[in-house]
Order: sequence, then C-alpha cells, then structure tokens
Amino acid sequence: MAMAVARRESRRLMPLVNPSVSIRSNLISPNQEQVGLGVRSISTQIVRNRMKSVKNIQKITKAMKMVAASKLRAIQVRAENSRGLWQPFTALLGDTPSVAVKKNVIVTVSSDKGLCGGINSTSVKISRALHKVNAGPDAESKYVILGEKGKAQLIRDSKKDIVLTLTELQKNFLNYTQISVIADDILKNVEFDALRIVFNKFQSVVSFLPTTATVLSPEIVERESEAGGKIGDLDSYEIEGGETKSEVLQNLTEFQFSCVMFNAVLENACSEQGARMSAMDSSSRNAGDMLDKLTLAYNRTRQASITTELSEIISGAAALEG
Amino acid sequence: MASTAAVPFWRSAGMTYITYSNICANLVRNCLKEPYKSEAINREKVHFSVSKWTDGKPEKPTIRSDTPE
Amino acid sequence: MLRQLTSRILTKPTTPFFSAAATRRPFSTEVADTSTGDETFVEQWKKVIPNIDPPKTPSQYMKTRPPTPNVLPTKLTVNFVLPYASELSQKEVDMVIVPATTGQMGILPGHVPTIAELKPGLLSVHEGNDVKKYFISSGFAFIHPNSYADILAVEAVPLDRLDQAQVQKGLSEFTQKLSSASTDAEKAEAQIGVDVHSALNFALTG
Repeated sequence: MAMAVARRESRRLMPLVNPSVSIRSNLISPNQEQVGLGVRSISTQIVRNRMKSVKNIQKITKAMKMVAASKLRAIQVRAENSRGLWQPFTALLGDTPSVAVKKNVIVTVSSDKGLCGGINSTSVKISRALHKVNAGPDAESKYVILGEKGKAQLIRDSKKDIVLTLTELQKNFLNYTQISVIADDILKNVEFDALRIVFNKFQSVVSFLPTTATVLSPEIVERESEAGGKIGDLDSYEIEGGETKSEVLQNLTEFQFSCVMFNAVLENACSEQGARMSAMDSSSRNAGDMLDKLTLAYNRTRQASITTELSEIISGAAALEG
Repeated sequence: MASTAAVPFWRSAGMTYITYSNICANLVRNCLKEPYKSEAINREKVHFSVSKWTDGKPEKPTIRSDTPE
Repeated sequence: MLRQLTSRILTKPTTPFFSAAATRRPFSTEVADTSTGDETFVEQWKKVIPNIDPPKTPSQYMKTRPPTPNVLPTKLTVNFVLPYASELSQKEVDMVIVPATTGQMGILPGHVPTIAELKPGLLSVHEGNDVKKYFISSGFAFIHPNSYADILAVEAVPLDRLDQAQVQKGLSEFTQKLSSASTDAEKAEAQIGVDVHSALNFALTG
C-alpha cells in the first residue's frame, strides 16, 4: 500500500515536472537526478515500459539477423557459382572502363528493402560520380535503376536522366532466366554505346567493394579492336558461325551483358544480406546496451522510492513518539 | 540447319540473342526427366516489375511474371 | 591489393600463376590489370571526383591467365560454365568437340584462337579414354591462344537426364506449328523448336 501511495503521489507530481526531459535526463545521469529532484521521482512504470519495448526491438533485430544469415548462405553459393560466367568475357574482351563514348547508360543495382546499411548509398554515390566523369560536350549518361532504394535516392536529383526502373526482383530466387529477360528489356528500350553496371561485389561478410563493369556495344567493340589497345587482339580470333563478324559480335555482346548482369545482381544481393546482418547485429548490440542502462536506472528509481518511503514513515513515527 | 542469310532467322523476326537462347534453354528443360525437370523449372521462375520513364515521369509499371521467355 | 589476389574469392583451384611478360604486348587473355586497375580510368576519376575512391573493375578480380607458351602444350585447359554452376573448371583434357553453328568443331591443344557461337547440340569432352557428353542449348566457346578454352552455355544437361518420349513429342508438335505458323515471330519460334528438338533427337539416337 505504501508503494501504491508513492505511485499516486508521483503521478500527481508528474505534470509539474516535464516528463520527457526528466526521463531522458534520468537515463543519462541518474545519480544527479535523484538528488536534484527531491521529490519522489518518476514512476518505475515508465522505465519498465521502455525496457519492454527495447527488449522487443532486440528480439526483432536478432531474428532479422538470423534470417539474413540464412538467406546469405543460400545466395552466396549461387553467386560463387556464377563467377565463372563473366571471367571468359573479361579474358576475351578486356576491361575498358575508360572508353570514351557518346551514349553511356549507367545501370545501378540496389535493393528493394531497407535496413541494409550503407550499400545502396554507396552504389548511388558511385553512379552519380560515373555520370560526372562521363559528362562531356557530346556525351550523355542515362540511368537504369534496379531496386526501390536506388530509385528513391536517384529521383531526388537525376529525375530527367532515368530511362527505366525495375523493382520486385527478389520475389522468386534470382536466376539467370529472370536476369536475362531484364537484360533483354534494357537492350530493347535503351540505346547505348557503353553500359556501366554499378554494384557491390561481395568479398566477405563484412566487406563489400563497389565495382563497375563495362559492357560495350558491338559497334564500339569493333571500333576499339581496330584502334588497337586492349581489345586489339580480337582481330586475331577466327569467327566460327554466322556469316559476318559483326553478327557474331552482336550476339556476343548481348550474351555478355546478360552474364555480367547476372553476376552483378547476385553479388549485390549477397552484399545486401551481409550488410543487413551486420546492421542488425550492431542494432541488437545497441539495444542490449540501452537495456543495461535502463535496468540500472530502473533499479535506482525503485530503491530511491523505497528509501524515501521508509524515511518518511520513520520520521513520522519519530515525530509521534517524541 | 544454320541459315545462310546475313542475319539468322530469329533476328530478322525481331528476337535478340538473349530471347533466342532463353527459348532454346526452356525447350531443353522441358525435355528433362523428372525430378530434374521440376527442379529446373522451379529454379528459373521470372517475376519483376518494370516501368519506363519519359521526361522525368514514370509510366505505370508493368509486371512480367512467370513466363520465362 | 595482394590480399585481393590471394583471398579465396574465386572458386577455381590454384593454378600456376605466371606473371605477364613485360617484353611483348600480352594478349588481353593473359593480363589482368592488377593493383589500380585501368590506369586511365582511375586518372579520369580522380580528376573529377577526388574525394571518393574509384570503384573496382572486374579485371581486378580475375586471376591472370598464363601467356602463350612457345612450345605447343599437350593438354587443353577447359572451363565449362553454366549460369548456375561451373561444370568444369581449369580441367586439363585432350580434346573437346563443340556444336558450333557451322557444325561440330573439334578443339585440340594449340588450336587457332577462335570465337564460336554454339547451336543446340552435343558437347563431348575427351580425356584419355574417358568421354563425357552434354547437350547444350546454346552459348559461346572461346579458344585462346594459350590453349585455354572457355565454353559458356545457358543450359547443359548430361544425356541420361533427357526424356526421349518428350523429345519426340516436342519435335512433332513444333513441326506442326511450323507449317501452320503465320507471323514471322511464330515462324521463328516454331523453327527454333524444330531445330532444338531435332538436335536433341539426334543426340539421343546418334
């Protein structure tokens, strides 16, 4: 009953003291507060509520981490298997991110869901930078965006440069057929001299490297191979199949685009899950810390109110006697 | 079997190499024995939503789903 | 950077790692741009955007391929990849027969560098007396001057996974569609069906 009295008292006093300020300050510097207030401080109820919600948050983030870890395991296998797919193309056609072309298309791969750390911002930052690097007197760059998060960020300042946006990619497992249909759509809707795909390559669970892969259109490949340089050796290759070299080159570049896209999307998905794992991990650790601080505050509040109660009773009794 | 025209028949009909290879792959998958067949078909499901943009404005998105073409 | 090269990103087993010959200009198959990647790209980048690190490029993730040897190698090194798996990775074989659009093509060590577009057909890998056969739906084969062969296929199945009855059914269905097709697109699809199914049939029976 004494406790109930204490609670009623504190509730009466509550409106007088600004609750949010006192709660916050209670958490930050509980020692000073108890001495300074001099009244029965804030009820333990509020702190208890707060503790319950923080504990729930911790449970949720831990669960999300587990889910992300299991998804990562599944998709990492596929990503590693697909790595063999783009290597022959790089071996054959070389890697030419510095090629100077008129029509650039920047394909930004991002995620649909959030809570995955900084990978989407990194991709968008690199895409914007590539846009800047390739801006020139007669050169233009357009965006093709995969994923909601990239779209949300790029809409803000590059609205007029966007050509195509694709979302809802991860409803089923990522597979080659899906990505090749997407690649086909991009090829049909966009004119390009060079495609630059920006994605986060998955190196390990804690490290994601922003990468850009360049795919050239068949005409540019011919131009570069005639000019010598990296792809200069293409001429020394005999062509089997098809009537003309340019026909086979066209098929080759289309196939290259779809293979490189496939690997890029898989790597980005791996990076997304990995980033989400570490984000959720740090979030649950943070929630744990917060919970510790709240527990301390709760205990102090509780003990302080008991002490105050007791001292009142005792002084009351002493007054009666004496 | 290989045509002698300058462009293969499928390109003159408007297909890209990607469409051609997807159709071929699908036909081969259909001729597999069970359980490989259902495993392969489940692996290659397609679903995404695409929206073209003109002049900074998106059009209504179209969903392409479950027809791995 | 060295960490990148030695980390276990690539699933390929470790092969002898030749450094690119500096004297003659190496083929693009042999040089992986290490450390800073494409120099001109990095410079362009730094000029415009000095604050952010330039992104990596795929060639920085690849292992260098060995240079063209002066002596004819005895074995062909084959990489046979599918989108969802690497069937053969750096395997040393005697001969590979691929179904190019111009017909079955045999590849031996020391073959002239070639880019071959593949049509639906049989791929066979010969190693000693061992022959492995796969049916490929379509793809590309690259043969590099250093006796490395890359075969990329969209779909490849070992022959014992194919259902003969299904193949026959498909063949008759598409032959019928071909004769009744009206538009260009339909004709093309039906023709592809006929091509694929007759190749399947041939592979299973031949």
